[in-house]
Amino acid sequence: MIKLLNQAKAWLTCYAKNLLHHVPTGLDGVARVGARQIYILPTRTGLMFGSVLLLMLLGSLNYQNNLGLLFTFFLASVGLVAMHHAWFNLLGIAVQARGGPPVFSGETAMIDVSLLAEGRRARHDIQARKGHDTALPVHVPGGNQRRVSLGLPTTRRGLLTIETMTIETQHPMRLFRAWCYIATDASTLIYPAPARHAPDPGYAAGDARLPDRTGGEGADDYLGSRNYRHGDSPRQIDWKAFARERGLVVKQFGGDQGQEVWIDWSRLAAPDPEVRLGLLTRQILDVSESGVRFGLRLPGAVEGLAQGAAHVQRCLTRLALFDHAHATDPVR
Amino acid sequence: MRTPPIPSVERPDAAQILALTLLVIAACLPLARYLHWQISAFLLLLFAVRLVGLKWRAAIPGAWLRALLTLAGVANCLYANHTLVGQDGGTALFATMLALKLLELKTKRDLRLTGILIGFLIVIQFLFDQSFPLAIYLGVMAFGAVALLVDLNGGLGDGRPRATLRVAASLSLQALPLTLVLFVLFPRLSAPLWSLGLDAGQAMTGMSDSMEPGAISELVLNGELAFRVRFDAAPPSPNQLYWRGPVLWEMDGRRWSPGPLPAKGADLPELEESANPIDYEIVLEPTQKTWLFALDMPTSAPDDAFINPDFQLLSRQPINSVKRYRVRSALDYRTAEPDARQRDRALQLPDNITPRMRELVAGWRTRADGDWDLVRQGLAFFNRESFHYTLMPPRLGANPADEFLFETRRGFCEHYASSFALLMRVGGVPSRIVLGYLGAETNRIGGYQMVWQSDAHAWVEVLIEGRGWVRVDPTAAVDPARVDNRGASRILGAGTSVRFSLDQAGALVRFARNLRLLADTLDATWQNWVLDFSAEDQFALLDRLGLGAFREYGLAVLMVLAVSLTLAVLLLALLRTPAAKDPLDAHYARFCQRLARAGLPRRHTEGPSDFGRRIMTQRPDLTSSISRFLALYIPARFSPNSPQKIIEDLAKQLREFHPRYKRPR
Repeated sequence: MIKLLNQAKAWLTCYAKNLLHHVPTGLDGVARVGARQIYILPTRTGLMFGSVLLLMLLGSLNYQNNLGLLFTFFLASVGLVAMHHAWFNLLGIAVQARGGPPVFSGETAMIDVSLLAEGRRARHDIQARKGHDTALPVHVPGGNQRRVSLGLPTTRRGLLTIETMTIETQHPMRLFRAWCYIATDASTLIYPAPARHAPDPGYAAGDARLPDRTGGEGADDYLGSRNYRHGDSPRQIDWKAFARERGLVVKQFGGDQGQEVWIDWSRLAAPDPEVRLGLLTRQILDVSESGVRFGLRLPGAVEGLAQGAAHVQRCLTRLALFDHAHATDPVR
Repeated sequence: MRTPPIPSVERPDAAQILALTLLVIAACLPLARYLHWQISAFLLLLFAVRLVGLKWRAAIPGAWLRALLTLAGVANCLYANHTLVGQDGGTALFATMLALKLLELKTKRDLRLTGILIGFLIVIQFLFDQSFPLAIYLGVMAFGAVALLVDLNGGLGDGRPRATLRVAASLSLQALPLTLVLFVLFPRLSAPLWSLGLDAGQAMTGMSDSMEPGAISELVLNGELAFRVRFDAAPPSPNQLYWRGPVLWEMDGRRWSPGPLPAKGADLPELEESANPIDYEIVLEPTQKTWLFALDMPTSAPDDAFINPDFQLLSRQPINSVKRYRVRSALDYRTAEPDARQRDRALQLPDNITPRMRELVAGWRTRADGDWDLVRQGLAFFNRESFHYTLMPPRLGANPADEFLFETRRGFCEHYASSFALLMRVGGVPSRIVLGYLGAETNRIGGYQMVWQSDAHAWVEVLIEGRGWVRVDPTAAVDPARVDNRGASRILGAGTSVRFSLDQAGALVRFARNLRLLADTLDATWQNWVLDFSAEDQFALLDRLGLGAFREYGLAVLMVLAVSLTLAVLLLALLRTPAAKDPLDAHYARFCQRLARAGLPRRHTEGPSDFGRRIMTQRPDLTSSISRFLALYIPARFSPNSPQKIIEDLAKQLREFHPRYKRPR
């Protein structure tokens, strides 16, 4: 009996999946809405409209009032025509979704949605929706496109694939809501959430010279100052600035080709890999800010010594996509 | 408790609130005729507060004051109508609540709800009035409600009022065929499901079932239509158009009344002889009575009616709405002789017969040779003596017949009929009064005849041995020179019945009359095709399609099919909507089209320059205009974007380019 029920449930789920046709994204990255992929249901306003019409119909029928019937039928016809207009407004609209720039887990990831009115027909009141975020409705003139962005809350690092999003319209009278599901492989990279503070990665001993910490006032070495962060060495604090009541400021030194640092997975002691990744992220951010050349060592992957925004992104991407379970021993 | 803030997209703007307020005011306006003045005053107050509130938001009452106003509104409705249900009470309550809702327009949702309820307000009004102008007016209101809903949804880009109206217009136009299909095919109820205090007993003007001096002349002042007639063949001559109504037997000295109804089935009305049958259809305005008017004498009754022993056609139900029926009448007839009891009834005299009346009749009797001659003597008396026919007779005292005959001698048909019938009874000739209408006005535009309340008439029937009841119209005996039309023409103006034959009518009056004919034709068409369209008409239509046997089910299936078909056509039309053309292409297409109409079609293989060259050899007279056009068009065609200036220039050239009308030399 239970087996039968389970089977029925599986069958129903399968059926529902097939029933909910999604609009596939074509090879050009654009999803074009087809006739059978549009769903339509009355809105709350539509239900209200319908019930008022029903009252009007009953009254007019009962009192054999032909004019009342005529007007009831007119409004009902307007409603029916409006339903077809809602459907027609979505039909053939081209949607292109792109993932926004990478964000740290916990921040809001953005999706850029381009709505294209191919052909000369304008599209009215088009709304993109994903989860709880709904973009403001836009009007797309014929032959034009409009861009909207949707925000997505993130909780996990990795590649956030959007999979499906909704495009909907309530044009022309908000009596009906027509919508379709856009299937898209657009994705956004989510970096691990950086830990609040991380231990100093320590400067590489064997690979490079120790930085000169005493002669830190060298004119060509001084890079600037930044706000104090927990874990900074007290030697780097600009005490003069502190005395002038400018708060705790840390002097930064660098730019020296000789300063290099390795950020290493194995040097951290935290047992949970996700916590470790958070710490590594924090270290990368700290180090990149100080302008020191750095490299990243992860089990199974190494990012060589380098500098600059692209390098930081590469390292963070490594962390975002790091798969601990399948990681092999670090390659030295 | 704090309500969450309203998101900006749901906040209505001032223009939308103003539009909604004006729409509600305009939709309530025709109701002012039917609402109690206190209701109208309260509505006016609410509207004023709303309008002032548009400028000074502080004027809009808060929640407490609104609750108080709601209570006041309900109390006002109760006080004015003593009820909250029924046609008047319900309408007053609904209008009050709708106006109150105008003071609580926080979100677009509130506006939408109010906009939708305007539809209900419109339909309610048709319980009061179903005239064509009102329907047009409220049609505009319905369109306004649709446009408001479109505007509230928004998302139409810039140029809002125009874009909104365009969308609303296309919705409405596309809805019209569907509306028609639903209207024609939606199955109607043949009897009401419930009856909720619909005020049927509104005071109706029209003929009453008794006659006293002044009764008919009052009716004549009423400019309303009594009924319309469409004869199958040519209409009979005007002096045969006696539309028979109630028959009055009893006279109490002042007032004629029908007397006790003849026992059911006492004697079936039968004409001994009848000739000249005539078939016609009557569309009777509601009277709240059961009378159906028919020409003297009706010989066949419609299904839901019968002919009573007085030869009056009677419906089985009161006529509460416009009634259409077919009758056959015989213009020449001889009725059966009534029995002695009926004869006695027709000879009863009131007790205020004066000696000089008896004397007058006695004088005729000595000279008369039989009853019919006595009738002719009587008619001659009215013709000979200085009797005047006037709509505004002097007031008569306790004995109207005597005063009229010997003193005032000015009167209207009821005076003549009443006194003549009395004189005949004094002379021993049984007589009775028939009320009805005389004549008809031909509506050339609509091809039918109109009978107005002002055509109301009273005449006499006398019983003559061997001839049965014979119609006598003493009013017609009055010397035409003594017919006083001044009163009638002054009171009735262009609405004067043809009976008063206003030959002095000027061009303006004739124009007004024609206008009235046109208006009545419109009204009749409206009545016939919209207001009267009923289940029977639907079944007749079904019969014509050969589906008559399926009745309601056939109708329902047909409706679903027709609606689907209409929607399919609409969808196809939507899908195949030609994309708006590039203005440059459109101008060139028009250029080619004009040449094609002048017999110079473009070949498919020809480009613009080849085509132009060929035309110039065929029609040298067009050389300059063609070369000027192409000199602008060709470079514009091949540049990525054509400036507006060139498009305008091309349009200007096209306006003067008419190769068809410019003959080749």
